[in-house]
Amino acid sequence: MKRRSGMLAVLVLLMGLLAACGGSNNGANGGTNGAAGGEGNAAEQPKADFKVGMVTDAGTIDDKSFNQGTWEGILRATEELGLENKYLKPTGTTEADYTKEIGNLYDAGFKFIVTPGFKFETAIFKAQEKYKDAKFVLIDGAPKDDKGNAAVGENTVSIFFAEQESGFLAGVATSVQIKEGDVGFIGGMEIPPVQKFNWGFQQGVKYANDNLGTKVAIKKENVIYEGTFSNVAGGGQLAASMYDRGVKVIFAAAGGVGVGAIDEAKKRAADGKEAWIVGVDVDQYADGEYATGKSIILTSAMKKIDQAAYDMIAAEAKGEFPGGQTLIFDAKNDGVGLPAENPNLSEEAVAKSKEVFEKLKAGEITVAAEQGDLIK
Amino acid sequence: MYVKFVGGLFIPSFLEEEILSMDYAVEMLGIRKEFPGVVANDDITLQLKRGEIHALLGENGAGKSTLMGILFGMYQADRGTIRVNGKEVRIANPNVANRLGIGMVHQHFKLVDTFTVTENIILGSENSRWGFVLDTRSASRRIAELSRRYGLNVDPDAKIEDISVGMQQRVEILKMLYRNADVLILDEPTAVLTPQEIQELGAILKNLIQEDKSIILITHKLKEIKAFADRCTVIRRGKTVGTVEVAAASEAAMAEMMVGRQVSFKVEKKPASPGDAVLQIDSLSVKNNKQVLGLNGVSLEVRSGEIVGIAGVEGNGQSELVEAVTGLRKTESGGIRLKGKDISGLSIRDRNESGIGHIPEDRHKRGLVLDYTLAENMVLEVYHRDPFSRNGILNKSAIRSYAERIIGSYDVRSGQGAASVARSLSGGNQQKAVIGREIEGDPDLLIAVQPTRGLDVGSIEYIHKRLIEHRDRGKAVLLISLELDEVLNVSDRIAVLNNGELIGVVEASETNENELGLMMAGVRKGETA
Amino acid sequence: MRNTIVSLLAVVFGLLAGAILMAVTGHNPIEGYTYLMQGGLKNTERLGNTLATATPLIFTGLSVAFAFRTGLFNIGAAGQMLIGGLCATAIGLTFDWPRTVLLAAMVLAGFIGGAVWAFLPGLLKAKYNVHEVVSTIMLNWIAFWTVNYAVPAYFKAESLETESRILPEAATLRVPGLTEMFDGSYINLGIFLGLIAVIVMAFLIDRTTLGYELKAVGFNRHAAEYGGIAVNRSIVVSMLISGGLAGLGGMVQYTGNAANIQIGILPSQGFDGIAVALLGANSPVGVLLAAIFFGLLYSGRGFMNAMTEVPPEIADSIIAIIIYFAATSILIERLVRRFKGRLPLNRSGTAPQQGKGE
Repeated sequence: MKRRSGMLAVLVLLMGLLAACGGSNNGANGGTNGAAGGEGNAAEQPKADFKVGMVTDAGTIDDKSFNQGTWEGILRATEELGLENKYLKPTGTTEADYTKEIGNLYDAGFKFIVTPGFKFETAIFKAQEKYKDAKFVLIDGAPKDDKGNAAVGENTVSIFFAEQESGFLAGVATSVQIKEGDVGFIGGMEIPPVQKFNWGFQQGVKYANDNLGTKVAIKKENVIYEGTFSNVAGGGQLAASMYDRGVKVIFAAAGGVGVGAIDEAKKRAADGKEAWIVGVDVDQYADGEYATGKSIILTSAMKKIDQAAYDMIAAEAKGEFPGGQTLIFDAKNDGVGLPAENPNLSEEAVAKSKEVFEKLKAGEITVAAEQGDLIK
Repeated sequence: MYVKFVGGLFIPSFLEEEILSMDYAVEMLGIRKEFPGVVANDDITLQLKRGEIHALLGENGAGKSTLMGILFGMYQADRGTIRVNGKEVRIANPNVANRLGIGMVHQHFKLVDTFTVTENIILGSENSRWGFVLDTRSASRRIAELSRRYGLNVDPDAKIEDISVGMQQRVEILKMLYRNADVLILDEPTAVLTPQEIQELGAILKNLIQEDKSIILITHKLKEIKAFADRCTVIRRGKTVGTVEVAAASEAAMAEMMVGRQVSFKVEKKPASPGDAVLQIDSLSVKNNKQVLGLNGVSLEVRSGEIVGIAGVEGNGQSELVEAVTGLRKTESGGIRLKGKDISGLSIRDRNESGIGHIPEDRHKRGLVLDYTLAENMVLEVYHRDPFSRNGILNKSAIRSYAERIIGSYDVRSGQGAASVARSLSGGNQQKAVIGREIEGDPDLLIAVQPTRGLDVGSIEYIHKRLIEHRDRGKAVLLISLELDEVLNVSDRIAVLNNGELIGVVEASETNENELGLMMAGVRKGETA
Repeated sequence: MRNTIVSLLAVVFGLLAGAILMAVTGHNPIEGYTYLMQGGLKNTERLGNTLATATPLIFTGLSVAFAFRTGLFNIGAAGQMLIGGLCATAIGLTFDWPRTVLLAAMVLAGFIGGAVWAFLPGLLKAKYNVHEVVSTIMLNWIAFWTVNYAVPAYFKAESLETESRILPEAATLRVPGLTEMFDGSYINLGIFLGLIAVIVMAFLIDRTTLGYELKAVGFNRHAAEYGGIAVNRSIVVSMLISGGLAGLGGMVQYTGNAANIQIGILPSQGFDGIAVALLGANSPVGVLLAAIFFGLLYSGRGFMNAMTEVPPEIADSIIAIIIYFAATSILIERLVRRFKGRLPLNRSGTAPQQGKGE
């Protein structure tokens, strides 16, 4: 918990590990794995009498990130289905803190529990054993025992996103937009979801250079993990030094650190200098506005967490909860992608990225989720 | 109907009190105030006539401050009535007191150093335009006018940190006048002043009463009462002893009223019979806080069975000397020997153990841990020794009985005996506790710095006696005091410091104030001849 | 006695203010508090969790209280916790000793880790009069980044991203007996360490020459110096002990309540320790009770959330209000005094209480 004295405000660390999904209601149709079709028929389901609970990760419910994305998905589904919902905030970030809140939800009759973030992996592993009659959805992680062995219980669904595809699309769009010059990457903590954004972005830039005639460079010193998701000032400094080195566009997958980068870009743009940011998780266009109708957000590499949460609840309502499965949300099921509207992208960039998106869908392009010989 | 002849008129008895009261600016009748464990005021009566300077005399802890606190609204009396200009009033807090025209100048000034005189004076008196713009200009004008009228000579635009202590006191007085106070309470106003400033204050007070102000002067200095006051009310142990016309009463008589017995101003003592040297200081040089030599090549000897007094104006090397001997300050050069042994390299504790006792100049800063109990304070230098502790574990009963012994034999008065927190004691009792602790350690060398500072006549006499007793037990005593009387009366030999240098050492019996005064000013003996 | 009344009043005022907030936001306070209590006490598991939540707070509370008693304001308990926890975890992950030896070594490592982390501010204060509030809070961040670096570099688990490897069972404070007795709660041996720490500190501060010296320096360093106490040494020793206690708090947090140390977070118990110390009036037993009270609040809050319509943010505010009142018990003391209409002769305004020789 954090409140009282301003000093403690600094404790609002780790805003949901990753900056993540916000209000992506523009996420087209939500058809994944045959779950929830139209909204009308979901409401007609008679078997909807379960209560949906959520335990937040560190950070607030309106963190424009994981917590908010998950909660918005839950809200949409439970409102449509007429279900009760509730979220709890743990007092800390240890496994014990998480299991305590899961237990509280369970004891209060909330037996469909959604948790955002890989920090819940061991807690969900224990919970799926302890509360056999409850259902769990773990977003961005798989239940693991103390030794690190993953085991998705029959009452649990583990959900992953293909961040590398999202990053790839952003890389392509960025390259086509600027044609030539330097781009950079600022990450939060060096953890898989962030790394995959990074690697995908680099591959996207390379793809554009190889196939679309651009000359965009991503240099080693322009790929940096800040180390936290909270250091706003640090993000601003990193962004400033990159821009000073001649970087035109920074892809910031870094929560609060990204906010710092966005602020720096806004300052420069207001002074008439060129400074762009590629947003992450949600469409961050509005966050980047520095003057009426002007934003420094070139585009955003989105990951539709709300859709994932929505789909799982809808599936449970139909009695089709895919327990025991690990689901991947990627381009194929519209689980990742760029925003529908990109006012700052040229028509060409929009067109090219759409093209590439279709190729990803069709499996004509595959994006590696490993580092390989990429930077960091 | 019963009538009485008053002031040439026959008036009915039911009006008598009313009319007689008109002469008094303030009357406090039958005041009683009890604190847990102590009756601070017990049926005290004080009547302040308009246009007089009325001294309130009493020993430390006699109840003066409590009584004035009640008048100023800081405490509520348990019993008794207060009348202001003949009307009975209830003074719930200092604001009420201010509204009734009662102002108080505290012993410790309540001024903001970085503000100007004007800003300090208007602070809290809400003189603003349109509710929020401070109206300093007209305030400043009025202050200048008041200053002129009462001969205070205060510059309204000077910053407090730039003016002298005496001037600051006048600012406090101005503050009261600015708020239209008719009754001024001055708490120990001369404690912080130089002799010259005391003279000036006296003149100011006379100006004030000529303008029909009334003044209560809290003090225990008989000389000043004689010089300034018209009447004097004496209280002792919370009770009124009486009110006298100052002109008609002798200092000795007032002192006796205050203490409750005859007081000798002359210290009784046998001639000294000094033995071997206990402390030998050999061309000692010590730097002061400003990193320049505060003590320069001083050599001095204190023998067993004698009291050596150090006379000098404050800041002429006394503190440096004491701190160097006790180990609180590093020496630059020179030697310090105690009973023939060089101690200049020893720690403070080792020096204590070798036989130095030290009554420090400032009992609040050095002498006592004010938040510790008396018992804990009594073992401040010996807690680590058997029987007060063994193997690092305190023996509380040994500590308590030791403390109780000191408290008993030095007549330290407190609410809860050894368990009283030191802070709760009056200044005099705190000092007695410190002195008791130091003498109880039976040191071969007792260094007493200003041992009677701020104390009343009774306590001073008592402390002087104890110092002499210690001498008579064959110990050495080094007495440092700014009061020339004290040095002259108590010491056997007197060393005079000026500007960090030893001007000379004289036999107390063969010198006088004039000679010492000259030496204190830096004139060596014989130089004038 | 007076302190007890003040602290209890602080709690009562806090609960009342929390109740008002609940009522204003349209919730039933009685229902809310009932679930809050139930959440912390309803069954043995919840009771165990409450005690476990209180355990690190006992240590950080003692740490801050000890510093207060010796005139220092150790605001760096969070950083000291991290380093203490890191050292204990490092021992636990590195050595394969018999359990008793291993745990003893971890306790020692935790204490030393925290002590070392507080040593520097102590030294700076003693030598250069650098205020410890500044230096300890700076060191919080150095600790934060040290852990951020050290854990991934040396103790990284394959499967975990922001945590160290999980400690082997022999290297945690959890024992099956306790876990079973409390029905699967995460209560552990830490609570006993906490009780021992309370007793040791009470003894140290009240009955030993060391405690006498440290308190004397805290109250008046000039008088302590005059009395022959080595003032600078005392300041450093105070900080060492205070830091060591916080380090133990980290040890019980990361090897008892959790089974690994996490990067990227300053433990909130470090700051809560300040409130615990204030509510506990800086006395060891007071700290123990205050820590358990805080444990109850933190433990029961989630259940209150789950069972009522009170949103977590309001619940957080309620807890914060209770803590606020608790932590400002000094103000309540003034209120009590004004109510009685007199100033006591035997106690100064804000000075911490002390042994009265009984």
